[in-house]
Amino acid sequence: MEQPGRLHPITIAIRDIAAIFGRMGFGIAYGPELEDEHHNFTALNVPADHPARDMQDTFWVRDPERGKSPSGDSGDRMKTKEGEERKLLRTHTSPMQIRWMEKHGAPTRIIVPGKVFRNEATDATHEAQFYQLEGLAVDTNVTLAHLKGTLDRFCKEYFGADTKIRLRPSYFPFTEPSVEVDVWFPAQQKWLEVMGAGMVHPKVLQNAGVDAAKYQGFAFGLGVERFAMIKYGVPDIRLFHSGDIRFNYAFQEQPTANSQQTT
Amino acid sequence: MKISRAWLQKYFDEPLPDANALADALTFHAFEIEEIAGDMMDVKVLPNRAADCLCHRGIAKELSAILNLPLKSDPLRAPLPMMDIVSPYLRVEIENPKKCLRYMGAVVKGVKVGPSPTWLKEALEAVNQRSINNIVDAANYVMLDIGQPLHTFDAKNLSSINIRDAKEGEKMMILSGEIYTVPKGTLLIADGNTGEAIGIAGIKGGKRVEVTGATTDLIIESANFDSTAIRRTAQALKLSTDASQRFQNRPPPELAAYGMRDVLALIGQIADGEVACIVDEYPTRAPAPAAVSVPLAKINSVLGADFSKEEVADVFQRLGLPAEVKGDTFTVTPPFERADLSIPEDLAEEAGRILGYDRVSAALLPASDVGRSTSYMAEQAKYRGIEKVKDWLTERGFTEISTQSFAATGDIILANPLDKAKPALRANLDENMKEAMARATYVAPLVLAPNEKPKLFEVGIVFKKEGEALEIKTSEPVSGLPEIQEDAEYKPMRYKLDAYRPFSIYPFIVRDISFWVHSSDGETPFGPDVGKETMEGLIREHAGPLLTRLNLLDRYEKEGRISYAFRLVFQSMDRTLTDAEVNDTMRIVSMALAQIGTVR
Repeated sequence: MEQPGRLHPITIAIRDIAAIFGRMGFGIAYGPELEDEHHNFTALNVPADHPARDMQDTFWVRDPERGKSPSGDSGDRMKTKEGEERKLLRTHTSPMQIRWMEKHGAPTRIIVPGKVFRNEATDATHEAQFYQLEGLAVDTNVTLAHLKGTLDRFCKEYFGADTKIRLRPSYFPFTEPSVEVDVWFPAQQKWLEVMGAGMVHPKVLQNAGVDAAKYQGFAFGLGVERFAMIKYGVPDIRLFHSGDIRFNYAFQEQPTANSQQTT
Repeated sequence: MKISRAWLQKYFDEPLPDANALADALTFHAFEIEEIAGDMMDVKVLPNRAADCLCHRGIAKELSAILNLPLKSDPLRAPLPMMDIVSPYLRVEIENPKKCLRYMGAVVKGVKVGPSPTWLKEALEAVNQRSINNIVDAANYVMLDIGQPLHTFDAKNLSSINIRDAKEGEKMMILSGEIYTVPKGTLLIADGNTGEAIGIAGIKGGKRVEVTGATTDLIIESANFDSTAIRRTAQALKLSTDASQRFQNRPPPELAAYGMRDVLALIGQIADGEVACIVDEYPTRAPAPAAVSVPLAKINSVLGADFSKEEVADVFQRLGLPAEVKGDTFTVTPPFERADLSIPEDLAEEAGRILGYDRVSAALLPASDVGRSTSYMAEQAKYRGIEKVKDWLTERGFTEISTQSFAATGDIILANPLDKAKPALRANLDENMKEAMARATYVAPLVLAPNEKPKLFEVGIVFKKEGEALEIKTSEPVSGLPEIQEDAEYKPMRYKLDAYRPFSIYPFIVRDISFWVHSSDGETPFGPDVGKETMEGLIREHAGPLLTRLNLLDRYEKEGRISYAFRLVFQSMDRTLTDAEVNDTMRIVSMALAQIGTVR
């Protein structure tokens, strides 16, 4: 018999997550890892030279013509050419909110899994690259209560029926109101912060060409590794993208029926 | 922002609950708390509220709204005294009013510089600030109290302040004694008479004008600088200070007058001195935040809540936000420090967070097939097509890896790589595959059976001149490997994983053992036909906990006897094993196996 291969745990996690959101009517989409400043920041209501930029340390692409190393995040100093957007590695999957709605408008309901990059020192809970999964639901009547209900059901299906969520105030430039989402794990008697979310900022809808007077919606962004780390008890995020097969084999694996699968 | 409970108490008549209770109140209604240490809370103020909440007054105001405790008095609502005392002692000139929005300078004569009174020392120490002298401490205290950065200069030989851009190559020594060459165009505070730079505006003061024990006359600065200018300079000089952090968050220029009022009062109280003059250069008065209107129905439709008009009116009242109610519509005129409130959704957030998101009940989205509409199917099919190829490969024994996108060489180079040895983005998956395969070959005895060899694949984005592309890489050629194609129908395989079992990072040792057992004569303590399980049990029992993997290598029968060969892999979770200790273990295993056969 042929030896069985192993999928990467991130693949397994994304399939699990996509299936749950699929059952709630979410489609799936992909966006570019190499982004431009407009989609990654400006259109998401994160202006140049704003302290909100510090919330996501960015890898900038060197302009091959000038070859100089820009520092800081100033928009004006680093324009590559007149009218050309600076390139960067996307710091989040949120740029797909803009790209998707530019193309498909509203109403909409999608998730976007993908690799994102942060220029920050790595440790057991921080990696310079990790997978994020964006969620976006826009319609005439989508509310914060729907965000809460959707994420509560998602966490119950992903982590277990005895978990529950709570929302705390937060700030992201691209949502208003913004919240942090905590999940309660009864076994550990502990709340864990798992993701940021909020109601899509009207400027973001406008920037994507959606009528903000008619439509509103919610968005969230979760770290796929973080979810897998919590679910399976993985102690160090750096194990995921090390290319070490011992990581794949550190889990007992059972195929499950995929008949319920909708995404 | 470090906040002291005792300092907050100054704002309330009623005794505040303990720091843990305050932390909870803030956590669920305003800000995350990063740390609590005794009476000190480290409050994580995010950029939207950094203009008004990087100070005790801002946090007190929040707590007042959350706990519904009235403030004793609000320094930003108390009237300002007359502060425009023209005199020949000080001239202030702003070269570029776009970069220096306001500059208030006061001359105080005859101060006694000395240690701060105990209460002031204690207040600063409670938030981990070092006491320096009564003058510097007074300026710090007012900043931490109401958020206005302040600076004090020794006024000896200083009677004119010029706020100007730095010239090419201009140098200055800051208070710490370090010398900085500031980029051309950096906003500087200069001596208007000599032209000499005496401070980097909004960031750090200069050594020449440091307030020392010999100082008798002061110039006090309470100013407002353009946030972008300050932010760029702080980034360029890699010099982040309490002042620069506040200025980059656009504090209101109005605040400067309140800062000046409070610091002059405090210096008068603890260092004597007489205010000789106050100059207020305020070229263009900042516009007050515009009124924002929101109907109650909008608040409830954003939040999915059912808040009453009275509840929402009470929230605005508690937050000190003047609100006019007409019918069911609130029109809020934010005070000068709340410029963050500019759209109806901002007001919905205020109502939601103060009343509490626990009062927003969870609701499921109505059924919708938008996610399955035709226009979405292409993307959906792309996902399924990718997963199909992954499943195809795992069925053929390939294991999926994930590696870093950074590489030593490539077409796309980063301007600011984290690892200088890998400044590029990978143009293919080859290098990482080679590395991963070398490691997989080495660790194979730990995870694979002896007759298996590692086979790997990666599906990932690569970056080429033409753009990014999804690539598949396998560790060996695979005949019939399908291209990634859209597949709308494919259902990806699903797996249940058990809890992660940590693996050792230490080297492992492999030993093989083979022996004959008699198949029919029954002369073993275990009876005839000793099974594989019995032998494995015997090996495990005697090999001990360092045995991490045991596989049957080989079994064959010959002339009434059966030959067995096993592979044993030894590894420790916490150290490197020695050959000698594994040899000892193998001797014990051999002795045990000798009961059932002849070890070869």
